[in-house]
Amino acid sequence: MSNLLAIDTPVVLEGVRKQFAGRTVLDVSRFVIAPSCCTFLAGDNGAGKTTLLRIAAGLDAPDQAAVTIDGCCRDWAAAQKQLQGNVIYFHQVPYLFDSTVADNIAYGLRFAMRSRAAIRQRVDAALDWAGLGHLAERNARQLSGGERQRVALVRAWVLAPRVLLLDEPLSAIDAHARAQTVDLIRRLKHDGAGLVITGHQAEALMPVVDERLHLQHGELSQADTTHAAGSRHQRGAPPLVLVN
Amino acid sequence: MESLSGASREAFYLLLSGDPELWTVVGISFSVSLRAILIAAPLAIVVAFVLAHARFPGRRPMLSAFNALQAVPAVVVGLTVYLLLSRSGPFGNLRLLFTQNAMILGQVLLCFPLLVALSHAALQALDRRAWETARTLGAPPWRAMLTTMHEVRFGLLAALIAGFGRIIAEVGSSLMVGGNILGATRNIPTAIALETSKGEYAQGIALGAVLLALALALNMALGMVQGRGEMA
Repeated sequence: MSNLLAIDTPVVLEGVRKQFAGRTVLDVSRFVIAPSCCTFLAGDNGAGKTTLLRIAAGLDAPDQAAVTIDGCCRDWAAAQKQLQGNVIYFHQVPYLFDSTVADNIAYGLRFAMRSRAAIRQRVDAALDWAGLGHLAERNARQLSGGERQRVALVRAWVLAPRVLLLDEPLSAIDAHARAQTVDLIRRLKHDGAGLVITGHQAEALMPVVDERLHLQHGELSQADTTHAAGSRHQRGAPPLVLVN
Repeated sequence: MESLSGASREAFYLLLSGDPELWTVVGISFSVSLRAILIAAPLAIVVAFVLAHARFPGRRPMLSAFNALQAVPAVVVGLTVYLLLSRSGPFGNLRLLFTQNAMILGQVLLCFPLLVALSHAALQALDRRAWETARTLGAPPWRAMLTTMHEVRFGLLAALIAGFGRIIAEVGSSLMVGGNILGATRNIPTAIALETSKGEYAQGIALGAVLLALALALNMALGMVQGRGEMA
């Protein structure tokens, strides 16, 4: 597909600072999102997990940050554009558009592919891949929580994202849907996506997690590393970009 | 004075016999108000979107202004447009006074604040995640805007119907800037006002029936569309 990107270099954020009402909610020295690597980001409520993910997705602007993508030097406006083009943010409760499941999955493809037939083919393949073919023509608003979660993941997967940030994806679904979601996450990782997952269900994600980080009072620390190569958030090329 | 039942009978005869004068008035009314709503709606919805999603100095005063402008009487709008378009006014040389274009201008000004306020209410109520999801899935800003508008399409449709209802039934502005010229600028409300002042109630009742039927049809259509949306 046309929006497949080179996914062999990490996205690096350094010196990420964010304040709300004079209070520092985020002060992260280095955060690396590597391809084909799944990072579990733990932390108490209010620790800054969602804020960090939203900045990494380009949805919110930091007060200060250095961003390296493909080793290129960019200011925040350019970095934000790059992040929005390469990173998909997955809300805690995913938002599905008021249309069919197939339309939802095709949504992002319309900006990357021109041919309607090619989009339809890609959507059909994705629905089969995820075992959601029987729901293709259903309105997405009529689905159960687990089904919505899977549709949202497939909608992200068809775009072959370079980075996928999942904000507590397992928090509101039952055990069966959780197992299916973990399976989809595994496939996304296998396809080369860099994944960052927040939440409190680390055990359920253990089969796919390579690295565990902990965010406390806005500061990031190493919680545990199961990845053979060691901590990725301490490695990677030095950032070139200063922001704001 | 003729009896009410007699006037009503005559009104229905006028309607059913296809009285050319009456249906010309109906045609002018629809033509002017539809053009006014088509001109006002796109800009009003974009303004409402910006007010709902962007944060900039002066946003709240602007919202308050649009809310307040909804209450401006049609005659005041008519007076303003009249002064602007009259011979001695700043746009007098355009020679628009007592034309359908002048009526359209008045109706655009009348429905614009209402369209902005109601569209803003619909867009403001939409989950912020809709915009963020569109953007994170690669939609450029203008496509994300269209997506959010699609998500609140029933609210926007209700705003359009309310706006159309306001201008199709207004008499003050059309009378002042249109001049109530038969076959040119006489629409349903100005015709009703004129015929009633002459004591010719039949045509007034007939035209009133058209307005009532229109209101009923529009609201039933809205209800059906909304019902289909809820069932989907």
